[in-house]
Amino acid sequence: MSPRLLVLIPTAVALNLAVGQLVAALGLPVYLDTIGTLLAAALAGPWAGVVTGVVSQVVAGLGNYMWLAFTPIQVLIALCAALIAWRRGFASAPLALGWGAIVGLLAGAASALINYVFFKGVTATGVTAVTTLLRGIGFTLPQAVVLASLLTDVLDKALAFLLVALTLLALPNRLLGRFPWALRAIGR
Amino acid sequence: MSARRAPAATAPVAGAVGLALRAHPFTPFVVALAVALLAFLLPGPWGPVALYGVVLALAGATGVGGAARTALLVCLPLWLFLFLLHGVLGEGPRVAAGPLRLSAAGLALALAQAGRFGAIATASLGLLRAFRPSRFLDAAAARGWPFHLPYLLVATLQAGPRLRHRAGLVLEAQRTRGLRYGGSPLARLRALGPVVLPLVLGALAEVDDRAMALETRGLGAAGHGAVARTPLDPPRDTAGDRLVRWGAALAVLAALVWRVLAWRAAR
Repeated sequence: MSPRLLVLIPTAVALNLAVGQLVAALGLPVYLDTIGTLLAAALAGPWAGVVTGVVSQVVAGLGNYMWLAFTPIQVLIALCAALIAWRRGFASAPLALGWGAIVGLLAGAASALINYVFFKGVTATGVTAVTTLLRGIGFTLPQAVVLASLLTDVLDKALAFLLVALTLLALPNRLLGRFPWALRAIGR
Repeated sequence: MSARRAPAATAPVAGAVGLALRAHPFTPFVVALAVALLAFLLPGPWGPVALYGVVLALAGATGVGGAARTALLVCLPLWLFLFLLHGVLGEGPRVAAGPLRLSAAGLALALAQAGRFGAIATASLGLLRAFRPSRFLDAAAARGWPFHLPYLLVATLQAGPRLRHRAGLVLEAQRTRGLRYGGSPLARLRALGPVVLPLVLGALAEVDDRAMALETRGLGAAGHGAVARTPLDPPRDTAGDRLVRWGAALAVLAALVWRVLAWRAAR
């Protein structure tokens, strides 16, 4: 592993954790805890994204092992982001927003499955509040879990992809040139 | 020889008082992982609840009792949601609980999940309290692990607080410049860019400087990693540590075999 990758990955993992703090301060119903994973995948390819995602979940798991169950979601998102970067999907904000919504659907479906099988619908407070609300208005538990996951994940991933595209587009060429995937990701 | 020579390998961690802090760094990891697996292998509702009781006792006995209090704060909202989602809104025959009529199956499920969450959160937070990055790196080096993996974990744990601190500074700076992030969801959404982008861009700009610092220390040189590092102060792996780790692994294996046999008998 190159020194640049060895520094990028911890930074990207820390971003996954720190952006969550900013979002909580804004009081938005999203997590944006995959921004670092997306950035690593878009800057340095699928391997960097997958390692960032897995290390993120391991570090989150140090606080609560429950999060380790969601490691496959981080891997899925990293692989999707790398594929999208390869197809120049971060070249503009609307394009990234659209890709984010599609990845959100995939991630939402996968996390709903994990949420229902292992945690019976109760995980993080935000998505659980939505699940409880949907259950209260008459949806069955599996329906409420799937709907809550899809609603939160589509919004979350669309915003995360948008912010990553804006970041990549704002980076100076000197910095972009140091990462093999970055220039292709934004279509230059 | 320097006057600030590292202590001998057998010396306990400075300031460490509990067993969890004195243990070999791999031991709390194995125990916490075993608790997470046992939480799902033991049959509900009383298996996970009993496990939670054992974990609470272990946390108190090994000097990380504070983790139990923190875990309680983490679990309380989740327990409330479990009660609402499964007890109040659950399906099937109802049982009277004071003025409420609750789902019997839902209550059992909620109790099992509450025990699981409690056990896992307490064990994880106990692990976090017992974790010392430098001891972990030394233990990994003593085992001959490649440098990159433990470095990634430790560098991440150190980068997390740094970036969280910077996130607070960015928020303050933007507020000073007149950014308003209250009000409607749309207004808060609009504030997202000015708050998140400076943090992300600053962190990426820093990557370059840090990579150069690692390169000047020979990390990118050809052949790096071919020679094993020699830790000055490797944590001692005692017979007790090994016993605990093997005991935890055997407990998981026994629970797994028991569940498989019970499942085959029920078919």
